[in-house]
Amino acid sequence: MKETVAKKPASADPRDIAFSSNEVRLSVRSWGVALLLIAGLSWAVPAVWKRIEPFRPGPDYRIPFSLGSDYWMYDRYCHIACADDRTLLIGDSVIWGHYVAAEETLSHYLNAAVGGPKFVNLGVDGIHPIAMSGLLECYGKPVVAKRVILQCNLLWMSSPRHDLQTDKAFSFNHPDLVPQFYPRIPCYAEPLSARLGIVMGRHVPLLQWTNHLRLAYFQNSDLPSWTIEHPYEDPLRAVTLELPSANEPPSPKPIAKPWTKAGIAQLSPEWVELDGSLQWQFFRRAVEILRLRGNQVFVLVGPFNEHMLDQPSRRVYEERKRGVEKWLDQEHLPHFAPPALPSECYADASHPLAQGYAKLARQLLENKSLKRLTK
Amino acid sequence: MLFQTWTFAAFFLLFYPVYLAVKDTRLRLPWLLLASYVFYGWWNPLYLLLLLYTTTADYLAVVAMSRSRRKLPWLTVSIISDLGLLGFFKYGAFVASNLNLLLSSLRVPYEIPAPGILLPVGISFFVFQSMTYTIDYYRGQVAREPNFLRYAAFVAMFPQLLSGPIERARNILPQLRQAPAISRQDVADGCSLFIVGLFKKVALADYLAVYVDQVYGAPGQFEAPALLLASFAYAWQIYFDFSGYTDMARGAARMLGIRLMLNFNNPYLADGLGDFWRRWHISLSTWFRDYVYIPLGGSRRGELATYRNMCLTMVISGLWHGALWTFVIWGALHALGRVMTRALEASPFYRNRVPRPAKQLMTFCFVTFAWIFFRAESFADARLIVSRIAEFGTADPRCPLLLLALVCTVWGYQFAYESRLRNVLAWAPVRMGIVVLMVFYIVVFAMSGVRGFIYFQF
Repeated sequence: MKETVAKKPASADPRDIAFSSNEVRLSVRSWGVALLLIAGLSWAVPAVWKRIEPFRPGPDYRIPFSLGSDYWMYDRYCHIACADDRTLLIGDSVIWGHYVAAEETLSHYLNAAVGGPKFVNLGVDGIHPIAMSGLLECYGKPVVAKRVILQCNLLWMSSPRHDLQTDKAFSFNHPDLVPQFYPRIPCYAEPLSARLGIVMGRHVPLLQWTNHLRLAYFQNSDLPSWTIEHPYEDPLRAVTLELPSANEPPSPKPIAKPWTKAGIAQLSPEWVELDGSLQWQFFRRAVEILRLRGNQVFVLVGPFNEHMLDQPSRRVYEERKRGVEKWLDQEHLPHFAPPALPSECYADASHPLAQGYAKLARQLLENKSLKRLTK
Repeated sequence: MLFQTWTFAAFFLLFYPVYLAVKDTRLRLPWLLLASYVFYGWWNPLYLLLLLYTTTADYLAVVAMSRSRRKLPWLTVSIISDLGLLGFFKYGAFVASNLNLLLSSLRVPYEIPAPGILLPVGISFFVFQSMTYTIDYYRGQVAREPNFLRYAAFVAMFPQLLSGPIERARNILPQLRQAPAISRQDVADGCSLFIVGLFKKVALADYLAVYVDQVYGAPGQFEAPALLLASFAYAWQIYFDFSGYTDMARGAARMLGIRLMLNFNNPYLADGLGDFWRRWHISLSTWFRDYVYIPLGGSRRGELATYRNMCLTMVISGLWHGALWTFVIWGALHALGRVMTRALEASPFYRNRVPRPAKQLMTFCFVTFAWIFFRAESFADARLIVSRIAEFGTADPRCPLLLLALVCTVWGYQFAYESRLRNVLAWAPVRMGIVVLMVFYIVVFAMSGVRGFIYFQF
């Protein structure tokens, strides 16, 4: 240890202080060039990737379950889906087809009935109206001047928890798509930094692409975590450029059998009032977004498994459904609230089984408003 | 608030334009102080009381010294106040648990209740920084600061408040006295420092931490290869973590027109323990040199006293890091190493005949060995790790190759930086390429979660 007591200030002139021990010091001009390069790469890498990674969705394609949070992929799929003159089906796992294969979904039966690929499955598993509104706003920008069948699932208003109105925080689906600051989601307790990161992620394609890589090739892990699990594997080899299949089942794998045989009891939900419902507020916002983009919107209310409701609940459900239809009428929005499908056609409170989708497709195609829309 | 979070980015984006607008006015110090208090109070606003207490007590102590013929009593009061605060919040539980052990061994049926208080983040740093003012004033090395706000801004300045560098009043107060001349190059330099720090923390330290935590979390389940690699990984983790913080702190300060001292100078290229301590956590080692080692007598009172002073300083330095015996042992190991190698390092044979890479390797291995005690959850764990390493087991360490490649790249960069290749690294396109690669790596490949800094716990 040196032993000179500095009687004078050790560093009287702060300009004498060393810059760094292993400096990567750039001039102002170099920083300008570096920032331009970074901005260019942020834009170019995702754009070039679309050319490198093969993606040719067939007529029954749906976003694979494991890519449900890959909104960059959703945006990419929207671009392709909107390139042709097709009707887009947008909604949650009911549209996506939670209990069925890609060849048994509503869009498939609609296509089969009209004899060609006229309908596209743009459903996302687990997407509630608040998230759907965020999805359309940020990643559904290619959906412009199209025909859209938008599904309204009253299940999301069947309790304060479904409506994301509980004060107690819990983790719910698609938190990256809900409003991060306003309006406030009572049960959403993400720290400020994470919320700001999510907002940034919506605007920087490179961040979305990074998320795509993680979901598509690294089992939803970041690279360091993945290498801990696979210490001697080459991460580049993991990027196979083969996207997961649309028929990849959800995890855990659902058992496709009627709810009555699955031992599910009747429900008595604590329905929330439409006027105070966050989900309903955001469903209306989703409609507004689509209409502002020049889309012709047709709303499918349901199909809800009314057989699962006890008598008092069913009355409240009917009331809510009438409320929804009343608003749709006021807004001159064509809509269809199909009668409940036979009980054995449902797997749970809202998801039909394959034969349910087939019936629903037939009912839909008989609807005059939809006929006018798709003519 | 952590530097590597979006919250800090938003905070700085709000703070900085206003700072630039008011930097030539009387609002500069209040604005800097307000921002620093917001930054610190982000964790727990109650901790601001401690910061305010330290600031006020030390400021008033110097006022009292300036008005009194006898300065020593006021200095003593100030030091007792500072160390008392540190002792209560940082060492209260440690002292209580050790006293309880003693009481129980003496069969005294009494148990001292431990103060159930969470350690206020950065307390060791701002207390030590504030002490430099009172002690230096007592020694006549710094003038009394007439403006309380300026002094408060010196203690609380947000870039280095939480983990240093532990600055000296005589370096910072003069800088705060005048309106900073912030050039565009200062902003560019600040960004350069910040991005290097961010890369060290997010891309390297946090990555290494995953492997280290896994192995050190259950050392009994691993054999020599994993334990060795995890120990070396920890040596790099703590370096990247702490020097990354320092780089970011120095970068942020530079953008404010304030120059903070160098805190790390490629410590793992040191060719002896003396050299290591001149390169590692420079602000703390010089603090201990100036305020502990030299007041103890330094090397002025013969060989034996020199070694005694060296050992005491090292052990106190270990204790400064935390209220655990493992830290004390870590300090004692360094003291022992220094005692054993001091004469050797000064000998012509060692200086001229031993190849530098060999000296660097030996130093690095010793430092890494000492880190085992620093990192282990307990002394028993540290002993287990050392004994299992000595068993020479051969189980697969499962250490990611990418991790090793990254560390080797950085080490290679540091070697290159201290060699003739430095000129190549100074070439603007190479630097730009490095910056672009670092940003790209941080965005695309780094860990998705946010980890705190290791030194926050001290």
